[in-house]
Amino acid sequence: MTRRFFVVVAIVLFGLVFASLAIGYTEQHSLRALAESYVRLVPQELGAPNVITGILLTYRAFDTLGEVAVLFMVGAGVVLVLSADRWPRAAAYGPEKPRQSSEIMQSGAQILAPLIAIFAAYIIMNGHLSAGGGFQGGAVIASCVLLLLLAYPQYQLNIEFLSITESVAGALFVLAGIAGLIVADGFLDNRILPLGQFGAFFSAGAIPVLSILLGVKVGCELSVILDGFRPELVEQKDQV
Amino acid sequence: MISNIVLTTGLLLILIGIWGLLTHRNILRIIIGFSLMGTGTHIVTVAIGYVKNGTAPIIDRVLHMSEAPSRAVDPISSALVVTAIVIGMAVTAVMLAYTIRLYDSKKTLSIDAFTESKW
Amino acid sequence: MMEVIGSTLVLLGALFHFSAGLGMLRMPDVYTRMQAGTKASTLGNTLILAGLAFYHPGWSLKLLIIVYFVLMTNPISSHALARAAYGIRIPLAGDTGIDALRDDQQNLRSKP
Repeated sequence: MTRRFFVVVAIVLFGLVFASLAIGYTEQHSLRALAESYVRLVPQELGAPNVITGILLTYRAFDTLGEVAVLFMVGAGVVLVLSADRWPRAAAYGPEKPRQSSEIMQSGAQILAPLIAIFAAYIIMNGHLSAGGGFQGGAVIASCVLLLLLAYPQYQLNIEFLSITESVAGALFVLAGIAGLIVADGFLDNRILPLGQFGAFFSAGAIPVLSILLGVKVGCELSVILDGFRPELVEQKDQV
Repeated sequence: MISNIVLTTGLLLILIGIWGLLTHRNILRIIIGFSLMGTGTHIVTVAIGYVKNGTAPIIDRVLHMSEAPSRAVDPISSALVVTAIVIGMAVTAVMLAYTIRLYDSKKTLSIDAFTESKW
Repeated sequence: MMEVIGSTLVLLGALFHFSAGLGMLRMPDVYTRMQAGTKASTLGNTLILAGLAFYHPGWSLKLLIIVYFVLMTNPISSHALARAAYGIRIPLAGDTGIDALRDDQQNLRSKP
């Protein structure tokens, strides 16, 4: 009973703090100084129409690099906790025979997987022109891989290829940053490549290249995490 | 007006997430509470960046470069939320991996069974 | 005039979404809950997007593609969830009459 009472007290106190936040909030009429300078500088200096991608990949690119490192640690941690050969998994119903998925799943995956892949490529490449970017596209790639894993349960992902691709993409990202130090103004500056015409497909310097590297890295990482959750499969000697 | 509604919805979601986190005994429902709290925080962060009668900070046919600083919405809060969503999903993946191992060790999903760390 | 039609459609879609939520709370077991959640919310999505098409007629083609995508993915994902729930043997509700999947799997196993 006391546990219930303390929970109610905690919720009421949180509710009072949040209510004071919600009541005392008024919409701002104009941007604050830092935001206004970002909105002014990104189209002028970086040549990117999408202000948010310009901030994420040039002005605050060091935070993006730190977050890429956090995703890498999370991937390594999940694979470590779930790896079957270090601590054998006591599955609830015994080691699994690969279960045949139904016809609806297979037909649906055959139609949807190319569409999702094209959509992911579109989101990544369009990051600097309209809403999109590396992170969002990488998450959509991982959802395409998840659809394939659900539709074909015997499908074995090539984990070494994904790990090597992911590490190479991360290394190229840091190398592009160092090239920014040498050639342009600072670490991960996007002016190492020519700025081009505003709004064209190949414009805004190195931002499309960085978007592609980021999308590939996030996609491979999330696919490795998804593959770690699958049960270990017993060898199929007699197929039904 | 509209950002008041969005802000209140986000704060309500955080409150519901905290309540679910503290009340349930099933580990999977606690993880759902964490996820709700994270989503509420993202909504609150985007809502406080709203400028009156503003539009998205993307320069295209609707918003020209010259009038962008006066009509665009705050881009910094959106940029923070973009990365926060991916990190939230990765942390949920770690929590689910731990759930699988906890279930393997004690064959139950109730958090009352794991008392080795309590005083 | 177009705005009135669009607003009515959006309101209908919101009503269907509400009934989906109500169904998920009141249904007795997992399978019926999933049925309520998927069917009503897919229809609600379609109605809301159709109402939006009346507001902005220039967006009609893009909204049609989105409706097609929602109609493709929502049923497939709930089908996968329901099969997974059946696979880990979640019990059906007490007054279930026919279990078609069990009969189907028995037929499949008894065939030579």
